[in-house]
Amino acid sequence: MPPDFAALLDALHGMRWPARSAVRGGMPGAHGSRMRGTSAEFTEYRPYAQGDDLGRIDWRLFARSDRAYIRLSNDRAILPTTIVLDASASMAFPTATLDKWRLASALAIGLAAVARSSADPVGLVIAREGQSIQLPPRSRRSLIHELIRAVEGIEPGGDEPLSHSLSAASRVSGRIVVITDFLGDADDVIGNAARAVVSGREVHAVHVVAAGELDPPRHAMLVSDPESPAIRRALTQDGRGSYDAAFAAWRDRLAHSLSDAGVAYTMAVTGEEATDHLVRRVTAPRSGVHSG
Amino acid sequence: MTLLAPQFLFAALAIAAAVIALHFLVTRQPRAGVLPTARFVPDRPATATARAARPSDLPLMLLRVLLVMATGLALARPVPTPARRAEARVILVDASRSVKNAAALRDGARSVVREGDVVVVFDSAARLVSGRVADSLRLLTPSARTGRLSAALVAAMRAATTISASADSLELVIVSPLAAEEMDAATASIRRMWPGRARLLRVGGGAPDSASASTPIELRSRADDPLRIAVAATRADHGSALIVRDSALAPAPAVTAGRALVYWPVDARPRGAIRRPRTDTTGAVVAGDAIVVAPFERRWRFPRDSVRGAHVVARWADGDPAVVEWANDSACTRSASIPVPTAGDLVVRADFIALVARLARACRGAVPMTPTSASAVAQLAGTGGRASHRAFPLHRDAHSTLAPWLFALAIILAIVELMVRTRRIDSASVMRARAPGVAA
Repeated sequence: MPPDFAALLDALHGMRWPARSAVRGGMPGAHGSRMRGTSAEFTEYRPYAQGDDLGRIDWRLFARSDRAYIRLSNDRAILPTTIVLDASASMAFPTATLDKWRLASALAIGLAAVARSSADPVGLVIAREGQSIQLPPRSRRSLIHELIRAVEGIEPGGDEPLSHSLSAASRVSGRIVVITDFLGDADDVIGNAARAVVSGREVHAVHVVAAGELDPPRHAMLVSDPESPAIRRALTQDGRGSYDAAFAAWRDRLAHSLSDAGVAYTMAVTGEEATDHLVRRVTAPRSGVHSG
Repeated sequence: MTLLAPQFLFAALAIAAAVIALHFLVTRQPRAGVLPTARFVPDRPATATARAARPSDLPLMLLRVLLVMATGLALARPVPTPARRAEARVILVDASRSVKNAAALRDGARSVVREGDVVVVFDSAARLVSGRVADSLRLLTPSARTGRLSAALVAAMRAATTISASADSLELVIVSPLAAEEMDAATASIRRMWPGRARLLRVGGGAPDSASASTPIELRSRADDPLRIAVAATRADHGSALIVRDSALAPAPAVTAGRALVYWPVDARPRGAIRRPRTDTTGAVVAGDAIVVAPFERRWRFPRDSVRGAHVVARWADGDPAVVEWANDSACTRSASIPVPTAGDLVVRADFIALVARLARACRGAVPMTPTSASAVAQLAGTGGRASHRAFPLHRDAHSTLAPWLFALAIILAIVELMVRTRRIDSASVMRARAPGVAA
C-alpha cells in the first residue's frame, strides 16, 4: 500500500458513515432500516392480525394477558455504496503533478474505507475511455487493497461519459458517490443523479477542482481543453476577469442544480484541505448543499 | 555629400526606427498549455503582442531597414561634393551688338577664365558655356541682338549654385562694354541679389573691327548699269553698304564684315525670291519714308518661308516684300527684287535716289554704342568682398547622379524582401499544418 494511502486510512480509522435516511431493508447492517424486523432491539407490540407469522407472537404476553400480540423491533441493514470515479482527460491536471486525479483517487479510497468501516459493501466504477473498471459492491476484508490497485492502474484520459457509470452504479447501490470535475456530461450526470435520488438512493457529488483552474497562471497562455481540442483560447490578463466570473457562475449553477436534485454536493480544491478532512465533510450528516 | 532634400532622409530614419521597434514587438501566439476549464475563457483572437528581448527575424529586419534607407536616401537626392577650393568665378561675357571690338572682348574674357570657372555668354539671352571654354571664347562672335544684362545676372546666379559646393567664395566677373541699352529697370535689383562686389572688365566697346558708317556706298556692277547714276547721287553719309548687281562680282566675307551687303541683281533671281507666275506691274515701292511711284515690272516675289525671320526693308504698293534683310553675326544681307529700268529718268529722280540710300543704310543692329553712366557702373560693381558659397545653396532641381542607383537598389531590396517574406509565410503554414494540436 502506498504511504499516502496508508496515512489516509490511518487518519480515517474507526470512522463511520451513517446513512442520511433510513435505508431499505436487506442484509443486517449498521444503518437503520425502513423495515420492521425481528431483531433483538424491541420497539413496540402490535395486535396479531390474520396472516401474521405465528412465530412472532409473544407467547409470554399471551399467557399473562390472553391477548395475541406481535413483537416488533427496528430492523438494521447495510447500505451498498459505489464510488463512481471520473478518469477522463480533464482529471489529469496539472499535467505535471496530476493533482486533481490524485485528490480524486484519495477521496475515493478514503470514502470507500469509511463505508467499509460501517460494514457496507463497497464497489468502485472508474470511467475511463477504453479502460473502464467496474467493481461491484463487496464486503471482503481485502476490498480496500483491491480498490487501491484498481485506482493505481488507471491513468486519466479520453472523454468517457460519466452518466452511464452513474446509472450502472444506481442499479446495485443504495449510496452513490460521484467524484468528478463535472467538465464532461454534467447535465446528464445531474439528471441521472436526480433519478437515483428519486428512487431512494443516497447520492453524493464531490466536485474536484484544481487550484490551477481557480487561479490559472498569470502570464498569457493559449489554453486548450484536453477533452475538446477544438477549444483553444488565449487566456490573457484582460480576459482573466471574465474567466473567473464565468467559472464561478458555472460552479454556482452546478451546486444549485445538484442541491435541487437532492444530491449532497461537496467541492474539493486541490492543495487546500487535507484529504481526511474532506472525507469527514463528505460523510458528515447533513441535509442540504455543502460546498467547500 | 550634399543632400538636396534632407527631410526625406530624416523621414527614412524615423521609419527605419519604427521598423526596428516593430521587430521587437512581436505578435505571436502565447505559450500553449492545457486548461480543462478553457471553455470559460472568453473567445478572443488567440494572438498576443509582446516585447521581445531580441528582434524577430533579424535578416528580414535588416532588409527592411536597408530598403527604407535606400529609398529615403534616393529621395533625398545626394550630390557628391567635389574638392573645395578657395574661389571660383562666374564670368559673364557679352556677345551682343554692343560689342564693337570682338577681339578685345575675347582677349579680356580669356584673361580671367581659370579652370573650374563658369562662363555665361549673353546677348538678348544667356547661355552657359560647357565643354572646352577656351575654344568657345576663341570663336566668340558678337550677334546683332541687344544685350540683356538682367538675364545674364539671373543666369549667373543659377550657374553659381552649380559650383558653390566646390569653392569657398564666388566672384562675379562681367566682361562687357557695358552699353546703356543693356541695362534695364530690373538690372539693379537683380544685381543686388548677388552678394558682394563684381569685377567689371569693360572691353569690346572701342573701334569696330571693320569699316562702318564712314565708308561710302560701294556698287559692284557693269559699267552700263543705270544704278550707278543713282548711287553716285547719294551722299557719303547715306550708308556703307556694298551693292552687288552681279553674283560673279560678289566679295569675300572679310570685305563685307560689319557692312550691309545688298544683292540687287540686274536680271538674275534675287536671293530668297522665286519667279512670279505672271509678270505684273505695280505703281509704287515703299521703303521707310522713301516712296517711289513708277511702273515697275515685277518678275520675282519672296515666298513666305523665305522671309521668315527676316526684316522687310521695302514693300510693294500691294504689301508684298520688295527688299528683305537677314541679319548675321557681323552684319546683314539684303536681297532686292526691284527692277531698275534702263530707260527713262527714274534713276535720277530724287525719290529713287532716296530709295537707294535707304537700301544702303547700315544694318539694323549696327547702332552706335552708348556707354553706361558711371553711377550705373558703380551700382553694377557693388561693394564688399566676394560672395560666400553659402549664398548659393544647391538648387532643389539639381541633378543627383546617385539617386537612380539608389532607387534601383531599393527596388532590388523590395523584391528580395518580398521573396524572403513569402518564404517565411510558407514555412509558417507548413509548420502549422504539421503541428499535432496543442502540446500539453
